[in-house]
Amino acid sequence: MQKKVFWQGIYQKLASPKLTVVIFLVLAAASVVGTLLPQRLSEAELQGHYGQRAIWFIMTFGLNDLYHTGWFRLLLLFLCTNLVVCTIKRLPKTLKIFRRGEEQVDPEKLANCSFNCQFISNLSQDETESRLISIISEEFGSLRRLDGADHFAGVAENGRWSLLMVYVVHLSVLFVLCGALVGSIFGFRGFMNILEGEAVSEVMLEGSDRGLNLPFQVRCDKFDVSYYDNGMPREFRSDLTLIRDGKEILKQELRVNDPLTYAGITFYQASYGAILKDAEVELIDRKLGVVRRCILPFREWVNIPGTRDRAQILRFEEDFRHLGSAMVLLISRDGRDAAGSWILIDRDFHGNKIENYDVKVLHATQMSYTGLQVKQDPGIWLVWLGFAAMLVGTGLTYYVSHRKLWVWAAADAPGKEWTKIVIAGRINRNELSFERKFNSLCDRLQAELRQERGGLKP
Amino acid sequence: MIRSSLLLAITTFAYLLCALLYLSGVIFRRRTIMLWGSVTVAAALAIQMAGILLRWRESYQIGYGHAPLSNLYESLVFAAWAIMLIYLVMEYRTKQRALGVFPALFAFLAMAYASFSTGVSSKIQPLLPALKSNWLIAHVVTCFLGYAAFAVSCGISILYIARNSKQETTGGASSLLPDLRQLDELNYQMVLFGFLWLSLGIITGSVWADLAWGTYWSWDPKETWSLITWLIYAALLHARNMKGWRGSRVAWLSIIGFVCVLFTYFGVNFLLGGLHSYANTK
Repeated sequence: MQKKVFWQGIYQKLASPKLTVVIFLVLAAASVVGTLLPQRLSEAELQGHYGQRAIWFIMTFGLNDLYHTGWFRLLLLFLCTNLVVCTIKRLPKTLKIFRRGEEQVDPEKLANCSFNCQFISNLSQDETESRLISIISEEFGSLRRLDGADHFAGVAENGRWSLLMVYVVHLSVLFVLCGALVGSIFGFRGFMNILEGEAVSEVMLEGSDRGLNLPFQVRCDKFDVSYYDNGMPREFRSDLTLIRDGKEILKQELRVNDPLTYAGITFYQASYGAILKDAEVELIDRKLGVVRRCILPFREWVNIPGTRDRAQILRFEEDFRHLGSAMVLLISRDGRDAAGSWILIDRDFHGNKIENYDVKVLHATQMSYTGLQVKQDPGIWLVWLGFAAMLVGTGLTYYVSHRKLWVWAAADAPGKEWTKIVIAGRINRNELSFERKFNSLCDRLQAELRQERGGLKP
Repeated sequence: MIRSSLLLAITTFAYLLCALLYLSGVIFRRRTIMLWGSVTVAAALAIQMAGILLRWRESYQIGYGHAPLSNLYESLVFAAWAIMLIYLVMEYRTKQRALGVFPALFAFLAMAYASFSTGVSSKIQPLLPALKSNWLIAHVVTCFLGYAAFAVSCGISILYIARNSKQETTGGASSLLPDLRQLDELNYQMVLFGFLWLSLGIITGSVWADLAWGTYWSWDPKETWSLITWLIYAALLHARNMKGWRGSRVAWLSIIGFVCVLFTYFGVNFLLGGLHSYANTK
């Protein structure tokens, strides 16, 4: 018994609208923290900015990757629970209102409505009825009649189905979150760098060291960047060919904002870069005054002709400290340990010296690669569906309101000619404009149902 | 040949004039002055529309060819236009002219900031590859219609609080304002309208991000702040509909929401960076 009360209490708490508002505000506050603190920084990177205690706090609560922590997901789960419980609690009531066709109109109850008016018509009951019907139908839509034995009654109703829209919006939130969940469980996200002319099938997965082999290969036939005349990039383009079992199955150009989807896997133009293939260098032996030339493939030892010295290009950077492209050249004299230095490729720099050589790069052959973002997301349709439902739901909530008008009329007293009329209305939104409309309806009815008083009749 | 910059400069001062007309109308209790305010708004809107369209054409003449919605300057201009458009429609429907002070002031400030700040470049620049998409127009227009509605709602909220704090002095400047119930109702409708457009803006942004980067949500600061704004307004709507909040509390929430809008728009650009860094000044 105690237990049941306890669970009842939890259920009531979960269904309370207060909780919804609190969850919204807590989610907002947590999100603020996540934007103020740079995300995805490692503990080492944090060291430079924060004190020990702050770092302990950040690491304990995962604030450096806040949106992926357990407690943030728990908050989202909490929101979903609140949503579901609220729906379970309220939907039956809404459906009742939605389905219910009233059987009768009670004039006593009408007087309690937020909008109501009563007056006496001096027309006969038949005349009153026909005028009520025509005026109300004109201003509020068709009147459903619920006459009783001794009275006339009717209801005019509009936009009843808009009551359900709020559930559509709530369902849409669940759809979006479910879609995200499905995507993160059954999908993957990664990237691949492909050299021009090379074919690759392995995707490096995001946030892990693992790779994933696609059932086909992607070849980059060409990568191209074009520029505007002011130097801003205009377009990045990769010419891709997909190859399966040695056969070319698809050729397509890939641009930013124009992805390529094949077999449920989508490729996006994400980045680009270049690596060094080989370089022709001139080595001037300062002691002997002799000039020697050789071609050095990337990361291969090569004998410097005419000597017993060897050279290798160890590293390459496209833009070394904003000085243009540069490489690390190692030179090993006579089989001894190698000495190395950064060599600027495009500049005839006086520091380009290693051992007894002055180094000059005559020509460097670069190879560009294209960087592709790759993903598979089977949950995306749920997300899109959720988005669509959310828009339809909020849009209709805004534009359609549920409004209802009751009318009741009966002889003022048995045997009398005059008719007593009660009108009442209710709306779930936009009360002010409804109030104006309701009042003008009442004014019109009173004017038209009483016009004969005082002998105005011709 | 008229240039767009001239038309937009005229617009800037026209909005200042609107704000002054509405303000003096309220202070001196002259409906005619406020009517002139409305006429000026309509004229300024038309001039600004012409300016925006002309700038669009100019971008084609330079050879870049894109809608004028691509950087901070252009978005500020569009924001001012959207605020005044939404305000004017509301004014036409409610016949309440005294509400125009704040929207006109906001529009003027946006235009003045766009025109006079050294940090905002008004040059027509070409589009980066990431922005080259038809989603640009859909995304920017929807977001800024939302922002504009929230700006108008913030103005109504300020008036509500100002009016509420004065203990019903009949007469006075507030006699031209709608009564508290009307202000509250208008505020709610404006928030609901803005919420719809903000949702649409977030969704178009999300669909576009999926197309450009392969991820519809990446918790980038701009995305996150738009979500924060959305959550604040969602809280407002639920508090009003489910818990029956009215009046001052709703007005304050709406003002907080608008502060979030401003932070999403400016704060994120200047303080946080991220995927939307091209919205930055230079």
